[in-house]
Amino acid sequence: MNEAAPLPEAAVVAERLTKRYGSLTAVEDLSFSVAPGEIVGFLGPNGAGKSTTMRILAGTMSGTSGRAAIWGVSVALDPAGAKRHLAYMPENNPLPEDLRVEEYLTLRARLKDVAPDRVAERVRRVMEDCDLTRRASGRLIGQLSKGFRQRVGIADALLAEPRVVILDEPTIGLDPHQILGIRELIRSLRGRMAVLISSHILHEVEQVCDKVVIINRGRLVAQGRTDDLRRELRPEAAFTVVTRADAAALLAACRAAEPAAGVAAVAGAGAGGWNTFRVTLPADSPARDKLADALVGAGLALREIAEERFGLEDIFLAATRRAPGEGRRS
Amino acid sequence: MRHFRTLLAHELRSAALSWNTWAAAGLFLALMGGIHYFALVDAARAPVPRSPVEATLWFFWLPLLCVLPLLTMRTFAEERRSGTLAALLTTPASPAAVVWAKFLAVWIVWALFWLAFAVFPFLAEQRLAGAGAHALGEPAALWGGLCFIAVSGLLHVAIGILCSCVTRSAALAALLAFMSLLALTAAGGALETLPIESWEWLGWLREPAAHLRTFGHLQDFTDGVLDARPLVLYGTGTLLCLGLAVLTVEGQE
Repeated sequence: MNEAAPLPEAAVVAERLTKRYGSLTAVEDLSFSVAPGEIVGFLGPNGAGKSTTMRILAGTMSGTSGRAAIWGVSVALDPAGAKRHLAYMPENNPLPEDLRVEEYLTLRARLKDVAPDRVAERVRRVMEDCDLTRRASGRLIGQLSKGFRQRVGIADALLAEPRVVILDEPTIGLDPHQILGIRELIRSLRGRMAVLISSHILHEVEQVCDKVVIINRGRLVAQGRTDDLRRELRPEAAFTVVTRADAAALLAACRAAEPAAGVAAVAGAGAGGWNTFRVTLPADSPARDKLADALVGAGLALREIAEERFGLEDIFLAATRRAPGEGRRS
Repeated sequence: MRHFRTLLAHELRSAALSWNTWAAAGLFLALMGGIHYFALVDAARAPVPRSPVEATLWFFWLPLLCVLPLLTMRTFAEERRSGTLAALLTTPASPAAVVWAKFLAVWIVWALFWLAFAVFPFLAEQRLAGAGAHALGEPAALWGGLCFIAVSGLLHVAIGILCSCVTRSAALAALLAFMSLLALTAAGGALETLPIESWEWLGWLREPAAHLRTFGHLQDFTDGVLDARPLVLYGTGTLLCLGLAVLTVEGQE
């Protein structure tokens, strides 16, 4: 890390950020923050304005209005100061084709103000962390596979031990093994660096991130911890129930526990007379935690009961379907 | 201008390892070698008003138009196209440091090309002067001409860098540089040939024409005349072009 200094309240601040290209508004009135040491997923459909926002935060593009700050330093007023705390890996990760990996990282370390006597050590360290030492260190970047190029980009981002790392689609084009490696690498940054990461692989984001920020058409539609968003956005709790009882008996048993419960048949009687139903309860129903007990208590023959998962993908779909500005969290 | 030295070292190293530089060097030496050969042949046939070295230097515009754009075209255009310029600007290195480092690296390469050319008159002097031929040229004319190349090269390289800043296409950058350098060189020559003195309404052109007489500047330098006006012209022109280049890089989104 850089010199010891008091922690700011937020490592990244976007405050009413707006970016317009003529009549087209790419980002509008967007506000969110990332706490020091936190890993935040930045999500949105294609064209939502994620890369534009990241570029504004990284100082490679100016916003039309609003404020962006990195580690308390305004990106617009002191771009060089903000960049000292920041590493940014853009979406297509542009790299010079004619440099060797080690040469490139050495150059970047010098440009990022790594102390001269620490350059070699830092380059060696990030190459080890990103598994570049054995197979890529002496090779020209132009000869590397997509996966190794992504690793070079991430190694570059970690070189100067910045306070804030912004990664735009870091796992794009990687195979599952490489994704696992990058995921572990990003996880290892938790608590050391604030990470803002955009990705289309929602499962990936859910596994790695402490919090998500979801935008659509340039506007914030949801932000917060996934559990909180799940509670906020999930309209109902749904269970798959496999039982010998018929729909009427099941509905009666469910309504005894929760009057607003609903039952829908999913599959008719199969071998042994087992029926599959979908039972829905209000998301905040107290019966949610004791539905199985209620059904068994009602004397129904029960083979299986499982709550349907409401994952980040569902959160994402629910959030991006609703109107921008509706139900924002801060 | 922090990181200027790091960037300059990187640019010089990249230039030394680039096929583009070596191709340009080959073209430059072939052009200048050929011109110098024919100048020597001409001088051997009959007395000529200019020594072979001066006659060769008089053709400085040929490599200026054909070779210099090859050196400057990729500096920014290629990096903008590949996105590496944007990545470079995410570091604390300032756009001014990037522009000046690229400018100085190309200028050094350009100067080295001309220093390599200086070997030709030296070899000719070594091989031919003892054979009874008349003087092949004053060394002072050669060094004066090279000083002109070095000073005017500041502006020429800066123009090439600016042209490379405004486009993502290296070919277009080369074309823009070619046209700009042609206009600058030819404008001076054209104004020199115009009978401005006899056209009263063109009187206001007299002063700029005196500044832009490129070949006149070359003559002054080879004659050992030190005039401050070309120095101011090339110096301020260089600063203007590089300032515009910095603004262009800063404004790129």
